[in-house]
Amino acid sequence: MTDRATTLKGIRIVDLSMGWAGPLAARHLADMGADVIKVESCERFDWWRSWEATPEWIADNGAEKSERYNGVNRNKRNVTLDLESAEGRELFLQLVKKSNAVIENFSGSVLPKLGLDYDTLKQANKDIILVSMPAFGTTGPWQKFRAYGSTVEQASGLPHMNGFAEDLPTMQHVAYGDAVGGLNGASAMLVALRHQARTGEGQRVDLSQVEGLFPLGIHGILHQSALDEAPPRNGNAHSEFAPHGVYPCLPDSDSDSEPTWLLVQVFDDNQWLALKRVTGEALAHFDKSYNSGPARVSVAQQIDEALAQWTSTQEANSVAAVLQGAGIAAAVARRAFDALHDPHLNERKFWQWQERVFVGNQPNGSAAYQVNGQPIAIVNPAPTLGEHNTEVLGELLGQTNAQLEALETKGIIGTKPRMPGTRS
Amino acid sequence: MFEGALAGLRVVDIGGSVSTQYCAKLFADHGAEVINLEPPNGFATRLLPPVVSNEHSSNASALHGWLNANKRSVVASALNEVDIKRVLTSAALLLDDGNNPGWLATGVNVRSVISWFGTGESYANYTGSDGVCFAMNGMLRTIGRIEGPPLIPTGYQAQIVGGNTAFIGSLGEVIASELGNRTEPVNLETSIMEAMMCFTEVGVVGSYNSGLHAERMGVNRFPPTYPMGVYPCKDGWLGVTALTPSQWHSFCELLDMQEFADLPLFQTAVGRLEAADILEPMIQEKLLLLSAEDVFYRGQQQAVPLARVPTMEELFRVDQFVERGAFTSINFPAGTQLTVPGTPFRLFTTPPIAGGQVAALGAHTGNYQND
Repeated sequence: MTDRATTLKGIRIVDLSMGWAGPLAARHLADMGADVIKVESCERFDWWRSWEATPEWIADNGAEKSERYNGVNRNKRNVTLDLESAEGRELFLQLVKKSNAVIENFSGSVLPKLGLDYDTLKQANKDIILVSMPAFGTTGPWQKFRAYGSTVEQASGLPHMNGFAEDLPTMQHVAYGDAVGGLNGASAMLVALRHQARTGEGQRVDLSQVEGLFPLGIHGILHQSALDEAPPRNGNAHSEFAPHGVYPCLPDSDSDSEPTWLLVQVFDDNQWLALKRVTGEALAHFDKSYNSGPARVSVAQQIDEALAQWTSTQEANSVAAVLQGAGIAAAVARRAFDALHDPHLNERKFWQWQERVFVGNQPNGSAAYQVNGQPIAIVNPAPTLGEHNTEVLGELLGQTNAQLEALETKGIIGTKPRMPGTRS
Repeated sequence: MFEGALAGLRVVDIGGSVSTQYCAKLFADHGAEVINLEPPNGFATRLLPPVVSNEHSSNASALHGWLNANKRSVVASALNEVDIKRVLTSAALLLDDGNNPGWLATGVNVRSVISWFGTGESYANYTGSDGVCFAMNGMLRTIGRIEGPPLIPTGYQAQIVGGNTAFIGSLGEVIASELGNRTEPVNLETSIMEAMMCFTEVGVVGSYNSGLHAERMGVNRFPPTYPMGVYPCKDGWLGVTALTPSQWHSFCELLDMQEFADLPLFQTAVGRLEAADILEPMIQEKLLLLSAEDVFYRGQQQAVPLARVPTMEELFRVDQFVERGAFTSINFPAGTQLTVPGTPFRLFTTPPIAGGQVAALGAHTGNYQND
């Protein structure tokens, strides 16, 4: 697993994106072997390194210690260029000339303000692809509006499909729009790259991250569209299946009173019969008349109470394994961290460990598509700021050492972040 | 007939899961010829609710319709071996859910399997579901009221994520063969559970480094910041996120809470999150008296990332979505029309296909019976 993937060998992508969504999109392309060159500047560095930078944080090399940043920028190269300077901008356009595509996830006002709109990029390289993935898309009245992954989720309406009716519309408790935006960004780029591979032609690509979440809320959108009524918010209850919920088990050994929670979903009548066998007397009073889904749904609350009473005497991990052994969808509501020790993920070599300066040995989750039975190799950890200035600006763009030194003196390139407004 | 950036590609779906169909849908949206090679009674998705009225039961699923517009439906058993072999060998991509082990990649094509866990011993016989994936990636534990129970995200979200992830790997390999980067057939395998780790993998590393773990803090309360949630206003719902000090400052001004704007405790996201119980009642009370529409626009003018949070009824009328044509219309075999989301990304020179026709079961079988 030491060789870099060659799937997208020969394709070069300039990654202007920041935060989570855009860098994750470009990470997929880097994992597949594209030469992804991330461009930051010493003052306008990726805010995913920190949104609360201080001089102390800079002095402590905080910019290199963000697991968020490091997690989504592996397998890439990194250069710094101050795009607000004429020289930085010119070098950027030279890089565009030698690339297949640019990806960015700024709000719609940023590239034009930098004098780097699509027409300008096209003058440098008439076949360039530009994937723009602002939250609300590159057209329409909200094209310049700002958003995070949480904003994207809110604007998609998805919270109206989750939780209990008596609670507030419920979010997914991560910056949900970001990771999905990353998937759509990579997808959009690949579609454009395929057209370019066939015809040589580049183009603009417009991705609205908010619209990218509609497929995840499709069940609610179609409920409204097909039935002309709002989707219900029934907590963990399901309109077709019962039991269907999350049930309390015995507390973890290192916890005092908080139950460990167990997901149980019975999707068919055979699974119901299997659940009755596993739980013994606990569900025995639900006789044959409840051997159909609709019958069980009609008494879902009573089943939930009986099942919860039984699970509350059980150790969660053991009972999850027993239920799965009986063919029932069950899983402990575990910590994300527990996935690091998941036997199945480790059998499949999902976690790849990489030594990274400033932070040491770190786990990295593989791309979720394995090729011929092997995960795609993660060869290089996330680059440090400006790590490849010489390699890219020198070897690729032909800047001499003296020119590079002059650029560094002027603060146009560098390897350490600076507080905004401190360029000499 | 087929236009778009993926024109000229044939994709054959023999799996018929939500994941394989979503993956294939992205191909179809951009002009690939997608053939559903279905069993005699059709793919199981044909029966998923909700259903549209006035359509035959095998064609009436709204979800199936949305997933399969512009695809072709062929009943596999109506083709002879030669026909099937010709269809398969001419495909750039075969999509499977893991239940058809004999259908291997041939020539230079890609066989892409999407299953809950992928191959491997530990979960070889496990039953997967969207909920199981949310439990295993750690998200389920964190959603909902502090006292529990944790809340299962609804719908098919994990399966869509799995399909989208497989699309990336699959199209990458298709391009690889067209670029000459690959000259052999290739077997891809996407685990939906692993795809779902995209939401929490960074958190895993964070916990590894810090020893700290995300726990359930209450509805719409989660790291890295506060305020971040959905609030009722006098005319609808407002989505709020204030992350940076300047966003917090502007948000306080919008709500006429300037006295909190500069308090040192509230200058960091973590500081505000720790003080959320103090701030939450005030923010709720202020916003209830304000217009979500007004605060949204004024906030965005000050670079505060606010959102309207449309109900499903409102969603189809949101200015931004209407202007962009975010929704389109699909036609069912007996003529029913349904409004559905269009494809999430648009190419300007080779635009995606908007809307389309849902094929009745076996509607295209005859097209592929040549011998």
